[in-house]
Amino acid sequence: MKHLNDEQFGKFIKDAFPPVTGDEPSRDLWPRMLRKLDDSRPRFSWFDWVLVSLMALLCLIAPGAIPGLLYNL
Amino acid sequence: MKSYPYLRAYMAGITIPTVMLIFLITLFTIARYTYNLSNPIERMIVFPMAIVPNLWGLWNMLFLRLRSSRYLPIGFHGAILAAVQTTIALGLFKLIDFEMPEFAWRAWPFAFPVIAIGFYLVWKHVVSFFNTLLGIDG
Repeated sequence: MKHLNDEQFGKFIKDAFPPVTGDEPSRDLWPRMLRKLDDSRPRFSWFDWVLVSLMALLCLIAPGAIPGLLYNL
Repeated sequence: MKSYPYLRAYMAGITIPTVMLIFLITLFTIARYTYNLSNPIERMIVFPMAIVPNLWGLWNMLFLRLRSSRYLPIGFHGAILAAVQTTIALGLFKLIDFEMPEFAWRAWPFAFPVIAIGFYLVWKHVVSFFNTLLGIDG
């Protein structure tokens, strides 16, 4: 069995895995990702606020409802 | 990202219950071992641990499937899950002979609307956000 020293082993690995080229994106994708995240940020409508208030009111009347919600989430 | 849309829908669906599980287990552990809650809650922990995340994942896959034809908005789809899930939970309690605490029965008429509204909001805003992030526009 042939033993390789560190230098030979490094060369062997480099030959086995050629450098990755040509996979760079043509432009910076991060601003696009930020725009996408910003677009999909939740926007509450008046109906959602009514529901949140109703939920808070029900939880105040019956605090036992809170563990029920947590258990199901 | 055009491939495996159902797998992505599943992953987007399981995110919320999987994160919530950490808090729920912490609360259960404190209730059981610090406050010596007498109910054997270990028997019902399988529901939020195993069933709920999978159910949410599958429910989001179902949404993706039904969305192509004219279907309800995602919030209402989530609110329907509240009914399905609570029915499964109550069925499971009966199956394993778990007795719900008295306060939970008393709070049930209020708890169900709270769960349905909570699900509506979480699906409309959070699951929909994850769907958009993973390339499945909700």
